[in-house]
Amino acid sequence: MLSLKQISKYYSSGGAKTYVLNRVDLDVDQGEFVSIMGPSGSGKSTLLNIIGMLDQPSEGYQYFLNEPVHQLKDKQRSALYKQNIGFVFQAYHLIDELTVYENIETPLLYQDVKSAERKALVADILDRFNIVGKKDLFPEQLSGGQQQLVGIARALISKPKLILADEPTGNLNSKQGEEIMELFKKLNKEDGVTVIQVTHSEKNAQYGSRIINLLDGKIDSSIIL
Amino acid sequence: MLKNYIKTAWRNLWKGRVFNLLNLVGLAVAIACCTLIFLTVFYEFTYDRFHTKLDNIYQIYTVSNRAEGAEVTSSVPEPLTPALKAEYPAVKYMTRSADAGALIKYGNKELDENLHFVDEDFLKMFTFPLIEGNKNNVLSGLNNVVITQATAKALFGEEPALNKTVLLNINNVQQPFIVSGILEDISRHSSIEFDLLVRFEHYPNYAANINAWENRTHIAMIEFNNGYDPASFTSQLTPFVKKHFAPSIEILKKDGAKPNEKGDIFWLDIAPFSNNHFATNLGGVEGNPVNKTYPVSLIVIGCFILIIACINFINLSVARGFTRSREVGVRKTLGASKGQLLIQFWIETIMVCLASMVVGLLLCMALINQFKAIFKSRISLSMLLDPVTLFGIIILFLLVTAIAGFYPALMMVRYKTVAVLKGNTASTKPGKLRNTLLVVQFSLSTLLIICTIITWQQINYLQNKPLGYNKTEVLSIPVSGGLIGEKALKLMRNELKNHAEVASVTGAYMNMGRGNDGSSRSSILGFNFGDKEIRTHIQRVDYDYLKTLDIKLLEGREFNPDFAGDSTAVIINETMARQLGTKNVLGSFVPMYDSVAKVQVVGIVKDYNFRSLHEDIAPLTLTMDKHYEINYIFVKVKPGNLVASYDAIKKSWNRQYPNTEFEGSWINENTERQYLNERRLSGIFVSGAVIAIVISCIGLLAISIMIVLQRTKEIGIRKVLGSSVGGIVLLLSMDFVKLVLLASVIAFPIAWWLMNNWLQSFAYRITIQWWVFALATLLAILLAFITISFQSVKAALANPVKSLRSE
Repeated sequence: MLSLKQISKYYSSGGAKTYVLNRVDLDVDQGEFVSIMGPSGSGKSTLLNIIGMLDQPSEGYQYFLNEPVHQLKDKQRSALYKQNIGFVFQAYHLIDELTVYENIETPLLYQDVKSAERKALVADILDRFNIVGKKDLFPEQLSGGQQQLVGIARALISKPKLILADEPTGNLNSKQGEEIMELFKKLNKEDGVTVIQVTHSEKNAQYGSRIINLLDGKIDSSIIL
Repeated sequence: MLKNYIKTAWRNLWKGRVFNLLNLVGLAVAIACCTLIFLTVFYEFTYDRFHTKLDNIYQIYTVSNRAEGAEVTSSVPEPLTPALKAEYPAVKYMTRSADAGALIKYGNKELDENLHFVDEDFLKMFTFPLIEGNKNNVLSGLNNVVITQATAKALFGEEPALNKTVLLNINNVQQPFIVSGILEDISRHSSIEFDLLVRFEHYPNYAANINAWENRTHIAMIEFNNGYDPASFTSQLTPFVKKHFAPSIEILKKDGAKPNEKGDIFWLDIAPFSNNHFATNLGGVEGNPVNKTYPVSLIVIGCFILIIACINFINLSVARGFTRSREVGVRKTLGASKGQLLIQFWIETIMVCLASMVVGLLLCMALINQFKAIFKSRISLSMLLDPVTLFGIIILFLLVTAIAGFYPALMMVRYKTVAVLKGNTASTKPGKLRNTLLVVQFSLSTLLIICTIITWQQINYLQNKPLGYNKTEVLSIPVSGGLIGEKALKLMRNELKNHAEVASVTGAYMNMGRGNDGSSRSSILGFNFGDKEIRTHIQRVDYDYLKTLDIKLLEGREFNPDFAGDSTAVIINETMARQLGTKNVLGSFVPMYDSVAKVQVVGIVKDYNFRSLHEDIAPLTLTMDKHYEINYIFVKVKPGNLVASYDAIKKSWNRQYPNTEFEGSWINENTERQYLNERRLSGIFVSGAVIAIVISCIGLLAISIMIVLQRTKEIGIRKVLGSSVGGIVLLLSMDFVKLVLLASVIAFPIAWWLMNNWLQSFAYRITIQWWVFALATLLAILLAFITISFQSVKAALANPVKSLRSE
């Protein structure tokens, strides 16, 4: 599904290059559930951002669904991720001014989905996540776990092939965390959505099918569970 | 989609309501001011536009290239108009024009009306539509009179007015006239104002002047043939001038006039009538022209306010954008394109602008009456519905939203998604643009403060400068409404003799300052004395003139009824004595009138400012010559109760003249009236400065809120490290104070140049002092500091634990 070849990301400061990622090779297949682990500063989030095309590598080749991402223009890149990737953040990043319903609806607006279809899709997902009763609430009126649930619903609304989750349970208590992880597992198993998550927690990493350990910008180990 | 945008925009605006309210108030105030200002400007610039042939109409004027500079006057001799019409086929129509007050009588009704003496062509040139009568022949009869609808109504009521015979009293001669036409009432937007039109042949002394090329008594307007380019008309007039004005040119030559680069000493020129409302330099036009400086400075100030408000808007939106950066990032990950984001933020801008517009126009409605009173403006809000203004407003609105909305929106859209999601935007350095804009804002504000102080100083100086005569205890009464000055003076003198509070009574040809009658006169006489030409202002006075006005007599004596020869004697001022130049001026005989005997100088008075302080004291001759009328009666009262004295004098006037309004006013009121324009300008500056400062400070306040938000962590750390509250306030304020200081320095030379130019229009003026600049700067800094302090003190006092924990 996606393939990174010799991907590097560095910042030059005063002539010296500081590598965040150093010649990383990574292939992820359709239907995998990959957990990226590693200490702070090892480059996990950067790697995830590059995969999600929010950030661009300094060097290397990147393919997504057989498209050479490194050759695409800004517009094409954003069209590509807009249709295929859903993001889930540690800090949820819901839009405070929008209700639950509107937050979930937003990606569809940007994809020019028709009003009637939008309504059906949002209603469907609200139902599936059991948050119909909360649809008119604003994010600040929800608990952290509920907010993340909305975050995931929003990521899923446009039926992405890939979900990228940056420490999705980082701000949640363990019970809420477990529920979210169960949800990811279910999505992966039942809907065949590819999931890549960054996590600190050994326990959460176990939900996946593969664990990649990063250290100082390099892949230290890759374990298939 | 649009609905969604508006919904989110509304919620966002509501969320930042304090901020947006500041923004809205600033913009609304600016819109209100600009609406009033631009309406006034529009009004001034559209004067006389209702004349359909406006662009073909010109006023003729003369230029004499005197030794002391070119002298422009629009007064022309009577034979000029017929001669030009006869000799130049390009002249399609031409009319002479002069005005006077006249009494019109029908039955037992009598009205004091404004009369215009014109030629037949007048109504063919100017667009004054006739309700009754035919414009081609209404003035064909010598004794025809054309009246306005209002006059017709006042005089005839519901009776038909056409072809009725009325009695007109012009210059104390009563004659019957036939009403041959009725005009629609004249727009208030017209320079030419009159109630009655009669043929120019009725102008006083018409017959005597019919061939007198030297006597310039009235103004004249030309309409050229359609398609004629009048650019070359002036040069075509050269032979005409040579032929008819030779004696005038001779006199000028003797007088030391020099030819200009084209070799002309005296020439005729034309000025477009479309500029009539601003023609203050032609030396006499129709109506009361205004100096173009005022509408122009209004435009400038309006633009200043608009610029300052736009800058505010930009700064506020950019500042607010920082808090929105996360939203931008999220929306981008959700697939928003730049265009979509741009539109979203722009819609917010448009909503704020629209709201500001509504509030601004409401504000405008609330303020319009005061504005009209202060600035003597005749605008009305219905002018907003005029297609031209409406179009202008829409353009302005789009411009403001485009400038003020686009840049901040672009800024926000450009945020780096990843950085923003990590919460990294707050650390960006305050933009150069923001600082530049702040400097511009405060430069404009300081500029206006300096202008305010200097105009105020100058007006104060004008008011307090001793003029060389008593202006507080002397009442000046215009003799109007067809009364004969001499008779009125005699009556009043007798009447007031018995009043204990009256010190003395006299009369004069010229007023001091500008009285309630609004008119101003001056008469200049030139004569040959020895080998040079002497020019002097003439003031016809009566006995006790010097005594009444407390003018200091240096040598000789005042006019005295005991001396029989005083009707041919003169009293001159120092400047005149200097100009005559001979020793023993006192007692000498001067050939002031070429025809009659020489007049004797019986007294010399100390120079006094008989004209406004715009001008130097000119040579002046006081005479009792009966050829000049008495137009004003001066009454000096004893100090004490001026109000009671005024009432007493008014009562005696009304006893004498129950039908003529008492228009007396104290001379200091009259002299102040000479500086109405300056007061108006100063009013404009003060209001401009206040509004500019208020809007700038609103902007500064909002930015300081933003800065404090951005630097919360830094402030916390500094406090933990032991910084005092004062230290932190200073730290936060210093950046801005520096900017304001820089802004002031930029404003100095501009303000100095502007004000120096303005002061040049006064013969008597203050010198610009350095402390004015210091004061203005201090004021700006103080205001900026106070504004910022609201936020910085709060931030400095906050508990650092809180701010650090929130990271």
